[in-house]
Amino acid sequence: MENDVILEFKDVTKEFPGVVALKEVSFQIRRGEIHGICGENGAGKSTLMKILSGVYPYGTFQGSVIYNGEELMLAQGAIRKASERGIAIVYQELTLVPTMSVGENVFLGREPVEHGVINWEKLYAETREILARYQLNISPDETVKALGVGRMQMVEIAKALSENATVLILDEPTSALSETEVEKLMDILKTLKSYGITCIYITHKLEELFRITDSVTVMRDGKVITTQPTQAFTLEKLVRFMVGREMKERFPKGNRTPGEVVFEVEDLHAVDPNEARRKVLNGVSFNVRSGEILGIAGLMGSGRTELVTTLFGEYGRIVQGKIRLRNKEIMPRSAREAIDAGLSLVPEDRKGMGLVLIQSILKNISLPNLNQFSSFLRIDADAELKASLQQAKSLAIKAPSLEVQTETLSGGNQQKVVISKWLLSNPQVLIMDDPTRGIDVGAKYEIYKLMNDLAEKGVAIIMISSELEEVLGMSDRVMVMSRGRSAATLPIAEADQERVMALATGLTS
Amino acid sequence: MNSATESAPETAQSKSRFTSELSQALRRNVQTYTILLALVVIWLIFFFSTNGTYLDPQNVSNLFRQMSVTGFLAAGMVLVIVTGNIDLSVGKLAGFVSVIVAYLQANVWYHYLPNQPILAAILSVTIGLLFGASFGSIQGYIIAYLRVPSFIVTLGGLWLFNGLVLLVTEGKTIPANQPGFSTIAQGYIPVAWGWIIGIAAIVFLFWNMFRARQNKRKHGFELQNIYVDLLTTGMIALIILIYIFSVNKYRGIQNPVLLLAITAGIMMYVSNNTRFGRYSYAIGGNRDAARLSGISIRGMIFKIFVLMGFLSGVAGVVLASYVGYGTIAAGTGYELDAIASCILGGTSTLGGVGTIPGAMIGALIIASLSTGLQMMNVAPAWQYVLKAIVLVLAVLADVYFKKNR
Repeated sequence: MENDVILEFKDVTKEFPGVVALKEVSFQIRRGEIHGICGENGAGKSTLMKILSGVYPYGTFQGSVIYNGEELMLAQGAIRKASERGIAIVYQELTLVPTMSVGENVFLGREPVEHGVINWEKLYAETREILARYQLNISPDETVKALGVGRMQMVEIAKALSENATVLILDEPTSALSETEVEKLMDILKTLKSYGITCIYITHKLEELFRITDSVTVMRDGKVITTQPTQAFTLEKLVRFMVGREMKERFPKGNRTPGEVVFEVEDLHAVDPNEARRKVLNGVSFNVRSGEILGIAGLMGSGRTELVTTLFGEYGRIVQGKIRLRNKEIMPRSAREAIDAGLSLVPEDRKGMGLVLIQSILKNISLPNLNQFSSFLRIDADAELKASLQQAKSLAIKAPSLEVQTETLSGGNQQKVVISKWLLSNPQVLIMDDPTRGIDVGAKYEIYKLMNDLAEKGVAIIMISSELEEVLGMSDRVMVMSRGRSAATLPIAEADQERVMALATGLTS
Repeated sequence: MNSATESAPETAQSKSRFTSELSQALRRNVQTYTILLALVVIWLIFFFSTNGTYLDPQNVSNLFRQMSVTGFLAAGMVLVIVTGNIDLSVGKLAGFVSVIVAYLQANVWYHYLPNQPILAAILSVTIGLLFGASFGSIQGYIIAYLRVPSFIVTLGGLWLFNGLVLLVTEGKTIPANQPGFSTIAQGYIPVAWGWIIGIAAIVFLFWNMFRARQNKRKHGFELQNIYVDLLTTGMIALIILIYIFSVNKYRGIQNPVLLLAITAGIMMYVSNNTRFGRYSYAIGGNRDAARLSGISIRGMIFKIFVLMGFLSGVAGVVLASYVGYGTIAAGTGYELDAIASCILGGTSTLGGVGTIPGAMIGALIIASLSTGLQMMNVAPAWQYVLKAIVLVLAVLADVYFKKNR
């Protein structure tokens, strides 16, 4: 690894009306290293990357960014200029066009053109080559919409790399990836490093920093707290730098005793609503007790999200099996029916499925619950406001007021809005699909505490998560899914990483 | 309240706070204020070009009556567009209703209910409205439950009524100017009542403002400077007063305008204060999130098209009464005027955003342009060209202001 500096931030300061997002940020990144950046939400990581990638052009911030010895001055509307200079960024929010193919997306805006017409053979051939390089099992003709969130992210990375990046910025790259795919990503990054490509790796998953990065910069409240080689850190030290205080445990201890079985699924089989021959659930059985947290683990594609969306009446067509809530058989055929029965779903994709982004926090929280404070002719705005304020307070949603658009909130706060909208409906069973995805350590802890509180009050919680530590840290029992089936349900005492992995990959049964 | 010994820095501070709150309030509603400004500019231009006749009481009166038919259509179209749909049939549907109603008035009641103009009128209106709502429900069913895109379904409706109007009229105009019936769109509210209604509306506005402030105080919310609230409410009150003063100088508030005001008021209430309205905006904002929140997308869209059909019926009845005839060209092109009114007024083609008052101002702008150009004897060809230019400029200005907020 060479010692020369490829990128340097010098006293970068960026202000918005009312808030200082970055304050005199200064640190260096060496050529060819994998440099991690971590920090809580609002620490300024995304803002800094937006400056680097040209979203905030030269002139909208103070200080300077030195790239390859020269000051980087990206003009307005120059996001493409940054990638032409070799700085590519893969965002946490996917920027693919869902109705186009993989190939079209990879070359979006840079299609190989000959005599004014797109050279499709070249486009697809090059896409195939890139996909093969990373051993991605995706056909370049596949429509992006049909890929799962995990594989879409791989397309994003391929897209960035196809532009011959010398600096690749990855913003929360593994938030939707399964363990095997994370491994693959790590291998890719190691390969890139061997070619001399510098990577900036932004993540909340602190263990990943130890796996792959050479040095880490910790940010808090818009300032750089420290930049050190990774070996100089321990997990506790990192957390302390990030959060500014001691955090004894990642997962708060719950104080609950599960009660009776409240929700039961018996041998559920379901098919794809658009393709009756494709089985998405192949025999799922489990139960949840009141006051219990049941974790659902499994690899990407094992059917976890399909399971919960089917239970919520919004996905698969059930062809066999029974669902029982408090011993009464139910067959929800729409979200409305599921909600009326007592189920709530915090979806995997909080922006696309959980929030109306252009509307305020208030309107989002009250949306499924308007029946509680309205008659046929009138919504009682006072009652609505009171109830929503209460939720916002008990979940500590950080926002200037309830009237702000949810679009402007951080990931953690957005998730809290989604959760509070469901809590307001007093569910008996709360289903949470990857509830802490893309959320920083501090906010995650708050959500874990919330889950414990809810369980103590008797709510039955079903939690899907791709983070094994999270599943093992929070659940009372763990149900492992594999290929559309429930492979086994283990009490937490019998669940460890190896056993769960083995069940998830189908190596044992 | 200000003591004489209040120090200079304090007054300066409260004055600057006032201006900052005022500009905040303006920025929040910049859309509505921009198009209001556009409207005023257009009026002023025509005022000076016609040596003042443009804004004399009779013309103002006619202007508002002329926009009322489009106004009814626009009032329904807002929610249609908000949910991400479109209704191209409203113009000819209104036209067809106007033709049916004319037919009934001229040929049917004459036989079965001689000498009962009021009853006849009531029956005509009822049948017109029922027809509008029924057709709306057919379209709504096909769009919501059979999932056929609204563009196609309502285009079909447009073509259907093109034909049906010709069939019913057999190419002739049908008179619809019977006494009971023509009061609907040609009658006036007596001057005294006009003032009473105006004052009542203003009183209501201020009462509403104070009540809203009280509620905020109850919940410990920070109150906007009272002068800012008074100023904005006062401006609306002023506009109402000027309108009533002006039309009362001619013959009074026109019936259809009052009807439109009531309709717009109801639609505003529905949009802002009912679950129906809330769900519509949610569907437009994020259909998936709305569905997962338990909203019945299909049911809502169905109802919105029924409502649109009903309002098209209203427009048709008013049209027949206003023109005094059912004509073969009835309603042609009105759907585009309605859609343009909504978009001028801030309704986004992407869905999820749009207000009724904005659409009403939009309708006023379009009607103002038409009447102004007519008054200046501009050739019809040039009328189209000018309307086009003004339309695009108005939206451009709006986009510009929004970007530089």
